[in-house]
Amino acid sequence: MKKVFTALSALLIASTTAFAGSFPERDITNVVVWSAGGGTDVSNRVVSAELAKALGVNVNVINKPGGVAGSIGMSHVAQKPADGYTIVGLSESCVTAGVQGGWDKKMDIWYPFIIGGSPDLISVSANSPYNTLTELVEAAKKNPRAIKASAGGAGSIHHLNLLAVMKGTGAEFNFIPYAGSAPAQTAAMTGEVTVVVTSLAEQQQLLKGGKLRALATLTNSGQNLEGVGDIPSAFSAYSSLSEHLPISQAIGMAVRNDAPDAVKEKLSMAFKTALDSAAVKEWAAKNYYVLSGKTGAEARKEFANLESLFGWTLHDLGAAKISPEKLAIAKP
Amino acid sequence: MDLFNDFGIFFSTLFSLMSSPSNILLLFGCSFLGIIFGALPGLTATLGVALLTTLTYGMGVNTALIALLGMYVGAIYGGSYPAILINIPGTAAAAATAMDGYPLALKGEGGRALGLTTTASFIGTVIGMIALVMAAPLITGIALQFTSYEFFLLAIFGIVISGTLTSKDLVYKGWIAGLLGLLLACIGRDRLQFFPRFTFDMPELDGGIEVVPVLIGAFGIPQIIKVLRDRIKLSQPKDFGRILPEFSTVLHNMKHIFRSAMIGIGIGTVPGVGEDIAGWVSYGTAKNTSKNPENFGKGEPAGIVSSETANNACIGGALIPLLTLGIPGSPPAAMLLGALMLHGVTPGPMIGLENPSFFIEICAILLLASLAMWINGIFLARQVVKLLQIPTAVFLPIVGVLCVIGSYALGLNIFNLYLMVPIGIVAYFLTEMKYPIAPLVIGVILGPMADENLRRALMVSDGSFMPFFERPVAILLILVIVLTVLTRLPIYQRLKSSIWTRISSKQGQQSEK
Repeated sequence: MKKVFTALSALLIASTTAFAGSFPERDITNVVVWSAGGGTDVSNRVVSAELAKALGVNVNVINKPGGVAGSIGMSHVAQKPADGYTIVGLSESCVTAGVQGGWDKKMDIWYPFIIGGSPDLISVSANSPYNTLTELVEAAKKNPRAIKASAGGAGSIHHLNLLAVMKGTGAEFNFIPYAGSAPAQTAAMTGEVTVVVTSLAEQQQLLKGGKLRALATLTNSGQNLEGVGDIPSAFSAYSSLSEHLPISQAIGMAVRNDAPDAVKEKLSMAFKTALDSAAVKEWAAKNYYVLSGKTGAEARKEFANLESLFGWTLHDLGAAKISPEKLAIAKP
Repeated sequence: MDLFNDFGIFFSTLFSLMSSPSNILLLFGCSFLGIIFGALPGLTATLGVALLTTLTYGMGVNTALIALLGMYVGAIYGGSYPAILINIPGTAAAAATAMDGYPLALKGEGGRALGLTTTASFIGTVIGMIALVMAAPLITGIALQFTSYEFFLLAIFGIVISGTLTSKDLVYKGWIAGLLGLLLACIGRDRLQFFPRFTFDMPELDGGIEVVPVLIGAFGIPQIIKVLRDRIKLSQPKDFGRILPEFSTVLHNMKHIFRSAMIGIGIGTVPGVGEDIAGWVSYGTAKNTSKNPENFGKGEPAGIVSSETANNACIGGALIPLLTLGIPGSPPAAMLLGALMLHGVTPGPMIGLENPSFFIEICAILLLASLAMWINGIFLARQVVKLLQIPTAVFLPIVGVLCVIGSYALGLNIFNLYLMVPIGIVAYFLTEMKYPIAPLVIGVILGPMADENLRRALMVSDGSFMPFFERPVAILLILVIVLTVLTRLPIYQRLKSSIWTRISSKQGQQSEK
C-alpha cells in the first residue's frame, strides 16, 4: 500500500513538474496594442515568428488598437489568465496609459521583453519651403501655431518628441492627432499637415522616394540614409534640445508579471534566441532598428524609467489627466 | 519594350509558381479556406489574412502571397453565399449582394445567383489586377487627394447611399437606420482626445462597439426569427440545377460589370475604405442607371453582378496605394502590409527600384488567386445550395449557433454576445417596422471614420467649414450626397413630374399648332 502511495505521489510530482516544464502546450496569442503595419506591429510579427520556432508552438499576432496609449489591448491581456498564453505587444508609448486615464494600472504589472527601436526624425512635406530645421523653427516662431504638425496619436512617443522639439526650440506647432504613424505620414504627404515626427524605420521608404523631406534626427547623432544623404542631428542646431531629448523607442512584448517563474524563464530564453536569430538581425539592419534584447529586472527598470519620464513630462505639459503622483509614479 | 519585358516576367512567374504542386495545393487550399471564412458570419477577410500571416513566415515571399491573396480573394467572394442563400451576409462587403441575391434564392434560383456571383467576382478581381499593373502610378494620385475632409464626406456618402438603396418603404427610414448606426458608433472613447462617450463606466465599452457582433446580430437574428416564424421554405428542391456561369447573362451585363469594376478599383484606392462601400456604391449606381430600377431588390441579376464585381475589383484597387505608397487601401490590405513587412518587403515608392519585378509578380499571383476562387466557387456553389434541402427547422438553429460562435470568436470576448443579442432583438423590431438593417451596420462601420475625420478636419482648419467647399474632391462628394438626398425627397419627385407635365403639355400645344 505504501509503495502504491509513493508511486502515486511520485507520479503526481512528476506530472506537475512536467506540467510547468511543458509550457507552452498550445498556441500563444500576442495582442499588439497598435494597428497593423506600424513599427510595433511589424517588430512583434517578426520576433513572434522566431519566438514560435524557439517555443515549438504558433505565436498568433492579433491587433487590438484603440483606447488611450494602447489601454484597450493592455486591459484585454491583463484580464486574461497569467499563464503566458496571452502576451501583449507594446511599445514605450503604452507607459502613458495610466496618467492619460486609459486604465488605473502601472507598467509594473508587466514582465517586458524589449526588442528595441528606431530613432525619431522630424520631416516635412516634399513641397514645403523648409530645407533645414532652423528654417522651419524660425517660420514657426514668426507665426506661432500656424504650421500644422502630426506625430501619431496624442501621448505617443512621437508626440512627446514633437513636444520636446517645441520646448527645446521655442517653436509652436499646431498638433493634429492621427490614429498612428502611417496615417500621420500620409497626412504630411497629402499636405494636410506640414511637419511629421515619426521614426526612421517608418519614414525611410517615403524619404528615399522623395515623398517627405527629412530635416533632422532627434537623437545625439545624425544618420546617413542611402539615396538621401546625411540627416543632421537636431542637437547641432539647437543644443538646448539635449535637456529634453532623446526619448528612445522601446518596442517589445510582455507577459503578466504574476505569471509563474518557469513560464517567464522559458519566454525569456526563447525571446533571446529569437533576437539572436539571423532573420531578426537582418530585418533590424535593413529597417534601421537598434536591437535591445533586455528582459527581466533590466527591462522592468527601463519601462519604469520611461513611465516616470513620460508621466511627469505629460503632467508638466498639462497633458496628463491623472497626476502621476496619484498612481505612485516616481519623479524622474 | 518595357511592356514586353513585363509580360515575360508575368508569365514566367505564373509558370514557375504553378510548376510546383505544393504551390497549387496551397493556392486552392487557402482559396477554399478563404471562401469558408467569408461564408461564416463573424469570420472576415481581415481576420483570415491576419491569422494566416504568421503561418506563412517560414515560406518564401511569393509562396506566402499565394496563400494570403488566395485567402483575401476567397473571403471577399465567400461572403456572398449566406447573403444569397439565407439573407445573412457573411461579411459586410456582401451586404449589397443580399438585396437581390436572396429574392432570387426565394424564387428557387439560388444556384443561378451563386453562379453569377462567382463569375462576376472572378471578372472583378481580374479587372482590378489589370488596373494594378497598367494604371498604378496614375491611380496613386487619387489616394493622396483624400484628406480628413474627403474621408468624412465619403463616410457620410456611404451611409446615405446604403440608406437610400435599402429602404423598401419610406426613404427616411433608411437614413434613420443609418443615423442609429452612427449613434452606436459614437459609443466608446473618442479617438482624438480620449473622452469617454456613452460608456457608463463600463471598460468593455471603452474601445467602442465592435462591428462583427453588430453585423451578425443585426442581420442574423431577425432573419432567423422571421424564417422560423413564417415557415418560409428556403428552396424548391427542383430548381437549383443551373450553377454553371451563364455566359449569356454575364455578357448581357457587361456594362454593369465594367462600370462596377471601375467603381471598385476607385474606392479600393482610397486609404482605409474597402470592399463594403464598394459593393453599395456600385449597386446604387447600377440601380440609378438601370432602365428598370423597380426590379432592383426583387431579384435583379444586374444587382448581384454589380456588387460582387465591385467588391472583388476593390482588392486590386486596395493593393495600389499599398504597393506604391505603403498605405493600405482596405482593412484586409492593412493585414497584407504587415505580412509583406514580415517577409522583409517594405512597400512604398522605392519598391519599383528595390524589387523591380515585385509588382508584376503580385499581379500574377492575384490572377492565380482569382482563378482558384473561380474554380473552387463553381464546385462549391453546387454543394452549398444543397444545404437548403436541410429542413429549415434544423438548418436555422445551426445558423443561430454559428452566429453566436462567430460573434464570440472575435477576440474570444463574451461581451460581444451581450452586444449581439440585444442588437439582434432591436433589429428584429426595426425590420418589422420596415426599417432596413444594412444602413445601421454601415453606420457602425463608417461612424468612427466620419466622427474622427470631421473633428480632425475642423482642428486643421481652426473650426472653419470653408475647406469643404474649396477642395475639388470634397465639392464633388458634397454634390453627390446632396443629389442623392434631394432626388429621393417627395418634393423633388413632385417638382419633376410637374415640370414633365408642363414640358409635355407645351410640346403638345406646339404640335397642335
